[in-house]
Amino acid sequence: MANLPKRIIKETQRLTEEPVPGINAVPHEDNLRYFDVSIHGPSQSPYEGGIFRLELFLPEDYPMCPPKIRFLTKIYHPNIDRLGRICLDVLKSNWSPALQIRTILLSIQALLGAPNPDDPLANDVAQKWKEDEKTAIETARQWTRTHAMS
Amino acid sequence: MTGFAESLSRYFDGSWKQRTPANQLRNYGPLQPQIVPKRSSTAGATSLTKRKASGTLINNATYDPEAKRYIGSFGIEGWATRSGTNLIGYGQQVNIERQKMQSKPQGAKRAVIKQRRTADIVVRFTNMRGQEIGRLSQNVAAFVSTLIDQKIAYFEGTCVYAPDVIRTNDTIFIQLRCYLLRSAFDRPLPSIDDDNRISDLFAPKETEHERDMRLRQVGLVKLFKEVNLEPTEGGGARERHEREALLKVAEDDEKKEAQSGSSQAKKEDGEDGEEEEDGVTLEQDQLDALYRKAQSFDFDSPEAMPSDTFAMDLRRYQKQALYWMLSKETNHSDRQNVSMHPLWEKYTWPIKDQDDRTIIPVPDLDMDHFYVNLYSGELSLEFPRQEQNCLGGILADEMGLGKTIEMMSLIHSHKADSKVPKEDANGILHSNGTTLVVAPMSLLAQWEAEAKAASKPDTLRTYVYYGNDKKANLKDVLRTHSAPDVIITSYGVVLSEYTQISRREARGQNMDTGGLFNIHFYRIILDEAHHIKNRVSKTARACYELLAHHRWALTGTPIVNRLEDLFSLVRFLKVDPWQNFSFWKTFITVPFENNEFLRALDVVQTVLEPLVLRRTKDMKTPDGQPLVPLPPKKIIIEKVKLSQEEQDIYDMIQDRVKSSFSRSLEAGTLMKSYTSILAQILRLRQSCCHPNLIRRKNVVEEEMEADAAYDEANGFSDDMDLNDLLDRFSAQQEEYEQGKSANTYGAHVLHQIKAESEQECPFCCSEPMEEQVVTGCWHSACKNCIIDYIEHEKAKPKLPLCVSCRLPINTRDLFLVHREPEPSFDITLRRIFTSSNSSKIAALITHLQSLARTEPATKSCVFSQFTSFLDLIEPALIREKIPFVRFDGGITQQERKTVIERFKNHEGRMVLLISLRAGGVGLNLTEARRVFMMDPWWSFAVEAQAIDRVHRMGQVSEVTVHRFVVEGSVEERMVEKIQARKKFM
Repeated sequence: MANLPKRIIKETQRLTEEPVPGINAVPHEDNLRYFDVSIHGPSQSPYEGGIFRLELFLPEDYPMCPPKIRFLTKIYHPNIDRLGRICLDVLKSNWSPALQIRTILLSIQALLGAPNPDDPLANDVAQKWKEDEKTAIETARQWTRTHAMS
Repeated sequence: MTGFAESLSRYFDGSWKQRTPANQLRNYGPLQPQIVPKRSSTAGATSLTKRKASGTLINNATYDPEAKRYIGSFGIEGWATRSGTNLIGYGQQVNIERQKMQSKPQGAKRAVIKQRRTADIVVRFTNMRGQEIGRLSQNVAAFVSTLIDQKIAYFEGTCVYAPDVIRTNDTIFIQLRCYLLRSAFDRPLPSIDDDNRISDLFAPKETEHERDMRLRQVGLVKLFKEVNLEPTEGGGARERHEREALLKVAEDDEKKEAQSGSSQAKKEDGEDGEEEEDGVTLEQDQLDALYRKAQSFDFDSPEAMPSDTFAMDLRRYQKQALYWMLSKETNHSDRQNVSMHPLWEKYTWPIKDQDDRTIIPVPDLDMDHFYVNLYSGELSLEFPRQEQNCLGGILADEMGLGKTIEMMSLIHSHKADSKVPKEDANGILHSNGTTLVVAPMSLLAQWEAEAKAASKPDTLRTYVYYGNDKKANLKDVLRTHSAPDVIITSYGVVLSEYTQISRREARGQNMDTGGLFNIHFYRIILDEAHHIKNRVSKTARACYELLAHHRWALTGTPIVNRLEDLFSLVRFLKVDPWQNFSFWKTFITVPFENNEFLRALDVVQTVLEPLVLRRTKDMKTPDGQPLVPLPPKKIIIEKVKLSQEEQDIYDMIQDRVKSSFSRSLEAGTLMKSYTSILAQILRLRQSCCHPNLIRRKNVVEEEMEADAAYDEANGFSDDMDLNDLLDRFSAQQEEYEQGKSANTYGAHVLHQIKAESEQECPFCCSEPMEEQVVTGCWHSACKNCIIDYIEHEKAKPKLPLCVSCRLPINTRDLFLVHREPEPSFDITLRRIFTSSNSSKIAALITHLQSLARTEPATKSCVFSQFTSFLDLIEPALIREKIPFVRFDGGITQQERKTVIERFKNHEGRMVLLISLRAGGVGLNLTEARRVFMMDPWWSFAVEAQAIDRVHRMGQVSEVTVHRFVVEGSVEERMVEKIQARKKFM
């Protein structure tokens, strides 16, 4: 704990004291930079009702660099690939140290509600989404039921 | 023998009588020893006598300088330089002459001396028809030539044997009759215009004058030996072999000179060789040993109470110093009986010649005896009185022990019996009560202030004899009823008056200028007396000539690095016999150089012991108490990290130094180019302080103009008042009518700042922010956070964008929110990266600001060796509204005084910007409690001396010293390597 920057301590504190509805992030006891995250699928989205597990890691130079985040739960989404990697600008080039774990997780939640097939990470999924959105959304629901509702 | 008789009668034919007025005796008859007791007893005093005589008596030549008196004869060999018959025969008289080239006009003096250095000792002899017959043999000619040239002796000869037919190189035997000339008993004042520039640079080379004196001394010793003249009195203590030793020393010098002469000739065509120094530098352990011996201070020595008029309390060791000084000044009582000076010998004029004929005494030289000092080669007709043993000494207490106060207590406690000044026949005003203090210019005001502080009101009058006040005629000043008790002047004044007076003497003008040299003071005090450590420097020579009853030298370092340093002080104090340089050399320098260090040390100790009082700050009294209980001192090395821009400049210069170093190393010209490398290292050190120190001034100015133009366009400035800004924003808002411009947000932020409503740093989440900074787009963060962020982004490299609005951040437009402490509560926005701030200045400002919070009334001294750096610190202090004054070499004496007074008398916090060179010595700045050393010097001793301005007697609080050192720079190496190595010096 000694080497942990004040900012991380403060963020962690706030995540537990004033949790964001539908988002839960708990640090590992042996590594306070490593968080177990779960995000509720937004309502009126194909992911509604699902609880998605993610892992989040704060690298050494956080907040100069963005946190590393990955979906652990399988998800059918044009901007998330099979390994759970997320294509989100604020996690890459548009990162700003003013962003926090909380805001990033909110962004991810928003991404679930508004998939963007024009900037895909999972090409096949994006393709489907563009060609036959209905089927694609149905597949996403199916995946949510299978993987995120156990 | 008829020839001799003839010559004798010719010699005594009375022709000189016509030239000699009857009343000439008055100038060198028994003199008034009660007025000038030291007359002619020593080299320095003799010159004074002469100077006084010529300065006040209009006619210098009241005797016949060519009067001469027989002292003996001896046989010599000569070599014929021509062939012939009837040139010379038995019993015929010969004239002894020097080469004609000696009679060159004055202007050619220099050239003549050059030649003499080589071989011009030729002495010819001619027959009565004026034909040159031959030359004297080398070994005789060597000293005879000197004696003739220096108008000490006159020689004539009689041929004892010569072949009938003379061939070149034949030996001719001559009986040489020797006479001492009247002019030999006279001695001119060494000219101030001696070209001793080289000696000034490389300390103790022999001056021309010293060389002449040495030749003269050798000549006399040899002459007296040849004519077998033994002293009738004096010199008893010295064995015969000592005279031999004396000769040997002088001859060694001769050899050395010959060597250096030839080596100089060798060097002449190119390289600048090392100048030979005749005083070997002391090693540190030797110096330590010396000081240990000189420091045998007895803690139980008696104390003396200062007089009632003295206003200060003395510490115990200071009372002991007073006792010691009083006893030094009054110890003449046991020396009332008149005894002869130990270095002089009394000789009786021979009354018979070699043929047992009675010699008729010559007017002008008609006394029975004469006196010779074979250590200096001086002759005298007057009885050389043993000088009352030096009525003064060297007060060598370490700095900070209060030498000035001790001296003031002496001034108060030992006053002259009568204060009525008397003028003697030589125009010297004997001021009975006045003490002359000679100090470095920067200390004049301090002496004046301390004299005032140490005296009860109206008990002591001081007079600063410097600058405009110098115009007054000192004699008149001293004759008034309110004559000053203490006159304070500078070394510069002493030197310039001496130069003036010695020039006047050279031109035969009246030397009574009413200045320092026309007064015989009661007491002279040389402060920081190591100023005269170089005995050939003009200042030193000028100080020797000052007249006083009591002489004191104050210095914390009586020996700076060679034994000769001490000699100069001894010379000033006129301690016999040690003030005689040849004596000093014989018993101290030479043994020391011959590795008889301990022997020399013992001698030095016997010299020092009665003369020197030295205590050091770390001395402990027998019960373990420190001598001076000083509050503790804390020295903190503050590592400063350069900003990236500064680091880039530093690296660039460093690369340049390295490459030019290796270039000259390869080319083998390292020693030649070391000055340019040193100059580059200097630049490197300057760039640690502030990059602008090494940049071209016009470039810097252009940049500043560009910045100013930018600021005008954006409505920013280095320093903005929050309320002004708010006014401006509200004005703009009216113009735009609800326009959602960035400035609306700006106004909001400013209101927030004003209301001190808490805001969180976007980086570290601190609340409130540590040193809140706002960007040009009005977003805030902690200062360090945003600087780290900008550096992080630049390193990528990436244009740093505002983390909140993603507008590019202009580093220049980062403003620190500065809240004035009570009572004003003003809030201003200040640029953190102005072109006039460097990391070091920023560090200084940070320290001063936190100091203002924790100890609001603390005064600080900021030392730098670069006055141009002080120039850059000034605006930063102005911006921070930190009151300051500045003390450097560029201000006048009067200004110095007011600056120091303003600093001392100011209520509340105050900063003194002070240049290390101008303020490193002497000043008393105990009002300050913080010291900031902006840049390290090669040797810490110099910095320590500066620190001791603050941490010295009178300091009541703990002193904290911050030494700024740039991380990973040449400064760090200076502090960690070089200073550590020099620590013991």
